[in-house]
Formats: sequence, structure tokens, C-alpha cells
Amino acid sequence: MVLKRLLEYVGYEPGRFKARWISGSEGQKWADTTKEMTEAIKALGPNKRFKKD
Amino acid sequence: MNKVTENLRQTAAKLLKDQEVEMVIGYGLGSEAVRTQPVFITSPDDVDKLVWNPFCVNGLTKYLSDLKTLSGKIAVCVKGCDSRGVFRITQDNIIPRDKVVVLGIPCAGQMSYTKLASKMDVTGQLKEVDDKGETLVIKTSNGDFTVKKSEVILDKCLKCESHNPVVADHMVGDKVSVTDTPDDYDEIKKYEAMSPEEKAKFWLSQFDRCIRCYACRNSCPGCTCRECIFDAIKPDWVGKEMNLDENELFHLTRAFHLAGRCVDCGECDRVCPMDIPIRLLNKKLLKDCKELFGMETPGSAEEGGSVLGQYRLEDPEEFM
Amino acid sequence: MANKSLKKDQLKNLLNKVAQNSQLIAPIQSDGITLFRPVKSGEGVVLEYQNSVMPPKDYFFPMSEKMFSYDTSDPSWAIKLEEGVPSRVLFGARPCDVKSILLLDKVFDAEFRDDLYLDKRNKTTIIALSCNECRHTCFCGAFGISPGEAEGADILMTDLGDRYLVEVLTEKGEKLAATCSDLLTDDDGSGAGAKEKAVAPAKEKQLNISIEGVKAKLDNMFDHPIWATESLRCMGCGTCTFVCPTCHCFDIVDFNNQSSVGYRYRCADSCQFGNFTRAAGGHQPRPSKTERIRQRFMHKLRYFVDRYGDTACVGCGRCLEKCPVNLDIAQIINKVKEVG
Repeated sequence: MVLKRLLEYVGYEPGRFKARWISGSEGQKWADTTKEMTEAIKALGPNKRFKKD
Repeated sequence: MNKVTENLRQTAAKLLKDQEVEMVIGYGLGSEAVRTQPVFITSPDDVDKLVWNPFCVNGLTKYLSDLKTLSGKIAVCVKGCDSRGVFRITQDNIIPRDKVVVLGIPCAGQMSYTKLASKMDVTGQLKEVDDKGETLVIKTSNGDFTVKKSEVILDKCLKCESHNPVVADHMVGDKVSVTDTPDDYDEIKKYEAMSPEEKAKFWLSQFDRCIRCYACRNSCPGCTCRECIFDAIKPDWVGKEMNLDENELFHLTRAFHLAGRCVDCGECDRVCPMDIPIRLLNKKLLKDCKELFGMETPGSAEEGGSVLGQYRLEDPEEFM
Repeated sequence: MANKSLKKDQLKNLLNKVAQNSQLIAPIQSDGITLFRPVKSGEGVVLEYQNSVMPPKDYFFPMSEKMFSYDTSDPSWAIKLEEGVPSRVLFGARPCDVKSILLLDKVFDAEFRDDLYLDKRNKTTIIALSCNECRHTCFCGAFGISPGEAEGADILMTDLGDRYLVEVLTEKGEKLAATCSDLLTDDDGSGAGAKEKAVAPAKEKQLNISIEGVKAKLDNMFDHPIWATESLRCMGCGTCTFVCPTCHCFDIVDFNNQSSVGYRYRCADSCQFGNFTRAAGGHQPRPSKTERIRQRFMHKLRYFVDRYGDTACVGCGRCLEKCPVNLDIAQIINKVKEVG
């Protein structure tokens, strides 16, 4: 929670970093979250920072 | 000589003479009129080296970590802001509380060396400082200079939540009556309100000029890891190369290692040779931890620890 | 070559012209601090600064630079060397900074010639700028440096109020001056005298420090208790060494991201860091701040003199100003002279 806020504070787009608690028995939730997050990040485009050339 | 200096010397002399402490860490006159330098007194004959004036900007609690192997007790002078560093260091088990004798000095605000140097000739030796309320008359071997306090005060002192130390075994001055003004984080809110692009532009230009001297880390009473992640070579978590990516990784990691632990003394910001506003990162973390977990500024009380290392049922759980 | 003169309002045109022909590096203000940066034109170049926060050393010996890269998936395993820098002009270096480059030459252009350094050095023309004022921490006089002389620069310019005196000192300087000849006029002969007057405040107001006898004293001070006393307040950061125009210690590191591609870089290192001089196996001959502080001052004022015949300090005052705990080399010089 705190890290997410820090990253957004220094200019990472909201949604690029996410933390979710998902139990081993919650397969559907895991799949949904992954899908949702993949779509959100695809919409944001590639991250331009933290990339060593 | 001012009253606090006099008290300080007397207290230090007594502590050393009675062999209650092995060393007193305080402030001594610096190489320029408006600077002081940390001094380490081990003999009652040397207590005259101790001074208290409005130029005692350094935080001295970090030295407790350096000197933790001394067999005797250590007395350390603290202002309100760095008094919280004492509890940071004792809570982190760097040195036991009963090995430290805290000499508390109430403080109405310290003056910035950089600001003063742009207003007066600072190259002389300091003779005396006359506090006239709104102004300071700084008497030096190169002449007397009158400066307006509001023009030369350290930025961090404009908002101060504890003018009086939060802990003191000996209080060597009278409590100051300046009203405590806890940070309203207005400045942080200003940066929060910017768009991601604006934020990125601002922060990347700050990180870009970092020279990785690690003064921010070394001055911090919260940075006491036996081996720092930034010094590790195998694996080299953060590369030694000075470029934007490594610099950003350094700054975010440094800041986050202090999340819920930073005592808000502002030393990192003061010591940065490149004027990177490091404190804006720490302040953001303080603001969030306060809002999310109802944390008080770390180091304000003897008990406690890292808020991120604790769990309470009522903690928010936005990640569920 | 005879001295030239440049009208003040023509400086920007001169810099614009220089920037058209080569890369121009000049002091600019950024976030409130003065730094040398590549600029596209004379716009924004500041002149009223006394010393940049970081020295121009970075353009000869960068804080961090790639040495070569490789790709092991390439059957020849060829090592790809870095391309050199373009032809460059460094404008606005102060006399102390110019001297520091001469000192770096002694290290990098001596028995072992350092190609990375020499590439930058040879391709850079230095236009130095005399100091009319000094900072409160300046003491270049202690090392025989004058605010109005810059041996080692290609051109020296001095602000004379209404115009600049332009002294062309080398062949490289002549070449550069020739490209701007339409902006320069011949000096009427009054320049030299006016220069003396213009730099007088910087000479007189600076700290009065003398290093006489310090080297001889230090020769016998390796085990002196002063190092333990003075190092107590050191925090062990690298500020002093990184803002220093003559410090030149570096570390070499290989970077490989667990792929076939990697590179080797070198970056500035500091004798104040705990990792510095730590040997394989963990032995550290300089285990505490005491040895590290001693090394810093000894290297500057004694070892460098032994090896190269000059002190490795130019009195720029950067470390005096930036040291967070006021560990002041000028004060140390005076203390060394006092102690028995």
C-alpha cells in the first residue's frame, strides 16, 4: 500500500503496480486479477523507466 | 556565553568527572563563523569546547551507532527533531537505552549555513550571537552582522512538531515557548496533485544529478544495517554505476527502507551536496503511514518500532 | 598570438557560434545549483557563479563510463569498444578547475596512458574564465594558482566590465578563435592592466592559507593521533571526494544481466567508503574512518607530491562548503602545522 503510493508519487502511472492477496484456493480470483492487470498494463504501454540499455 | 552553553558545559563536566559517561557528543565551533562541528569530549578539562548557538544544525544521534562499542555510557546533545533519533536507534537495538545519557536542548529553530553565507561574510571566527527576537546579531572576528531570522532559518524549522526534545535525561535549557506546528503536508499534496508525467519529469531530473555519495544514508539515524544493500557487491542489488536507473532505484529503495521508521529529522535533505529534495520522499511516506495506520512520527516515544512491521486487526486491507 | 577583446553583448553570439561547430559544455543553473552541462547555444549560460557544485572533471573523467561491451552469442566474441566523444568546447572553467585537469593529466597521461581519458582530453578545447569574485571557501592562492591565470587552458577570458579580455594560449585555442574572428577585435593594450584590477578582489578576499612545511610535516605523521581525533566526526560519505576536481579513484565493474550481452564500466569510487581497498577474502587494510581520513589528506598533500611533484588540491573550496560535518581541509592544513 505504502510502496504503491510512493511509486505513484514519483510518477509511475496508477495501476502499473498492484498488490493483491490471493489464497492458493482462489483460482478464479487469481485468473481474474491477472487478466484485469494485464489489460490495464497493456493500455498503459511499456514502462519506460528502470530499463538498463 | 549564553546560559545553555554554560549549563551544557557544567553538566558535561559533572558527567565526565563522576565517570557516569565515557564521552559527551556535542557541538563545537566550526571553521567558519556560522558553522559548528560535532565534537567528542572525553575529559572534563575539554568541556569548554562545547557550544550551543543557532548554527547547531547537525543531528548527532547517528554517532551512537558508530560508537556503540565504547564500554562506558555516551552522552549526546539532541534538539527536538533529532531527539526522535535516540528512540530510532534504541528501538532498532543498536545501542541499549541505558547506555545513552540524553542531553536535551530546547530549540527555536536553526539557521542555514548556505543562506547565511549568501548574506554575510562567514569566514571569521564566531565571538557571540545576540538573539534580538526577530533578528540575530552575529559577532565575528570580521565584524558584526545583523540578519533577519526569517530569511536565514532552515526550511525544515519553519514547521516543527517538537521544539523541545521528546526525551532528555538532563534538560540543559529552558523549554522554548514557540508553538509546535506539526506538518500539514501541504507541500506533499502539491506534488501528489501533479499528473504522472509531471511527477516523472520532476523526480527524474532530481535523481539524475545524484552523485551517490551516500551522505543521506550515512547521516540517517534509521540507516544502521550491518551491511547496507547499496554496499553489497554479490549480488549487486543496486549497481554502482551512476546513471538515472540506478540512481532512481537507490532513492526509492533508501526511502522505502525508512517507511514507518523515518523520524523526520531532515538531515538527509540538509547534507545532500546536490540539493536533491530527499525529504519530499520521506515526508510522503510519513504522510501515508500516518493516514493509513494512524502512526505518530516515529521515535516520538520510547516504545514502538516500525509501523510496517506490526499488525493490527483494524489496519486497512485494500489489497484483499 | 596577440590578446583579443570581445564586447560583452557579443558573448552569446560567440557561444552560439561555438555550439554550431562542436559540442558546447557550459555552466548553467538547474534547480538552483550551478553545474556544467552540454548546451545547444549560449542561452541560459551563467557567468556570475564562483564555483560550480560539481567540477568540470566529469567531462574528462566521468563519474561513470562504459569501457566496452560484448555479446557472447556473436561467434567471434568481439569486444566492442566505446565510441569516443565528439569535438567539444568546455566554456567557463575556473583557473582552479583548469589546474585540476593538469593534475589529472599527470595520472592519466603518464606511464600508463588512459585512452578513455585522453580521447576526451584531446578533443576538448578549454575556454577558462578568470574569477572577479571568490567564494567564501576559496583558497587557490595556497597552491600558487591565480584567479587571473589559467595555464592548461586553451583560451582565457576575463570579465573587464564592458568587455572580455581574450587571451589565446595554445594552438588549439588559436584554431577556435579563428572560427570566431569576426566577433573578436584586437586588444588595445590596456587589457593586461585591467585584468590585474579585475581579479584583485578574488585574490585579496580568499582565505589566507599556506601549505609551507605541510608536506615535510606529514612525512612523519602517519601514526599521529590527529587522524583518530579528526575522523570521529566523519560520517564516511563520499561527498568530499566526489565534489573534488582532483580526486580520481575509480572502480571497475562488469555488468551482465544473465544474458549473452554485457558490458564493463568504471565509476568514481571514494576512499571514504568501507568497500574501498577491501581485498578479496574480506581483508580491509583501512578498517576504520581514521585510516580513510588519513588517506584522503595524505594522498592530497603528501603522496601526490612524492609521486608527481604537486599537491592534489587546488583550493576550490568545494569540500569545505559541502562537507556535512565541517571536516575542512584548510583547517586540517592549519592543524597539521600546529601539532607537534
